[in-house]
Amino acid sequence: MSEHDEDVIERVVSELRRPVQIDPAVDTRVMEEIARLPVRRGHGGLRAARVAWRWLARPRAISLSPLAGLGIAAVFAALVLALSGRWPGPPSAPPGERATREFQFVVVEPHAARVSLVGDFNDWDAARTPMRRMQGGSVWSAVVPLRPGRYRYAFLVDGRRWLADPTAPAARDDEFGTPSSVVTVGSS
Amino acid sequence: MRRHCSCIVSVCALAAAFVASAAGQDPRLARLPPEAQAPVGALVDSARAAGLPAEPLVQRALEGATKQAPGDFIVAAVQRLAIDLGRARDALGSSASPAELSAGAAALRAGASPAVLTKLRRARRQPVTMPLAVLTDLVASGVPMDSAAAAVLTLAARAGDADLVEFRRAVERDIALGAPPGTAAAAAAADAAATAAVQVNARAREQRPGRP
Repeated sequence: MSEHDEDVIERVVSELRRPVQIDPAVDTRVMEEIARLPVRRGHGGLRAARVAWRWLARPRAISLSPLAGLGIAAVFAALVLALSGRWPGPPSAPPGERATREFQFVVVEPHAARVSLVGDFNDWDAARTPMRRMQGGSVWSAVVPLRPGRYRYAFLVDGRRWLADPTAPAARDDEFGTPSSVVTVGSS
Repeated sequence: MRRHCSCIVSVCALAAAFVASAAGQDPRLARLPPEAQAPVGALVDSARAAGLPAEPLVQRALEGATKQAPGDFIVAAVQRLAIDLGRARDALGSSASPAELSAGAAALRAGASPAVLTKLRRARRQPVTMPLAVLTDLVASGVPMDSAAAAVLTLAARAGDADLVEFRRAVERDIALGAPPGTAAAAAAADAAATAAVQVNARAREQRPGRP
């Protein structure tokens, strides 16, 4: 190292050792700047919720056509129907169980003036399915379209006498003291 | 904006009123004795809310009305059926159709255990309405439940509905000829199982006239 270099280093060191003059008001100014910054309260999630609520609660002008209004009403009605269970809720019949087959019911009643077929398929309404006398004889017949399922039924003779079908299985779960029969329609 | 909103509210209110009136009591229940109408209506609504088919309950009530049963008999019968439908749904699963549930309820009423219903559901890919009905009918013909269940379970996996009906007729025929019901069911099941094993497509069999 030369004498010139030593002299330069000596001058730099002496310059660095010189005390720095700081403005006595600097602390005050820094604190004032900090006080001006926005205050953060609470957690980030709470703040986001507050912002979202403000966005949701802010009034807006929405233009809607009458058709769209009807659409919304239809969706609302469907929702209410679904909740009330009137909509095709579970369980629904599979496609194979929706096809109907015609079934012929026959009973021999030589002395009857009229015979009705009543059952689960006609609301047990004696007026709904009157049976027809075949060729003026003692055989009465009715044809009913049935979907796959199990149906209880009986014949009502002259509006007062109940008769089970002697050719069909008897309904074991008869609870009203009169005989009934069962027909089961398969899906295949 | 306000006009649009009031329009929407009005339409919604009208829709709700329509739905409320539509969701009211089934008008057919007016045929019941007055004291049975409200209880049966409540049972039907409860079943519907629970996802059970309501129509079998209405039909059971109408059957009682047509047969001029007392109101409390009708209510009790509908209540029993609602319970059986719920048990059938538990055994057969929530995907069971209304027809399957009705047949399941009848089988349970005849004495079948829920386990038999569950086994039938697992054994058969087709609807189990017919096997359940045949099971119930066999019991009604005097076949012990265990024998009937074993026979139907043997056939359930492969036999079609028509084969099951034929099986039931064979059992009834043998019983009419004097065979003990349990023996008749076992023999007919063995015959039907052998037939089903030979026939690849049960539908190829000649269609029989539609008689119960």
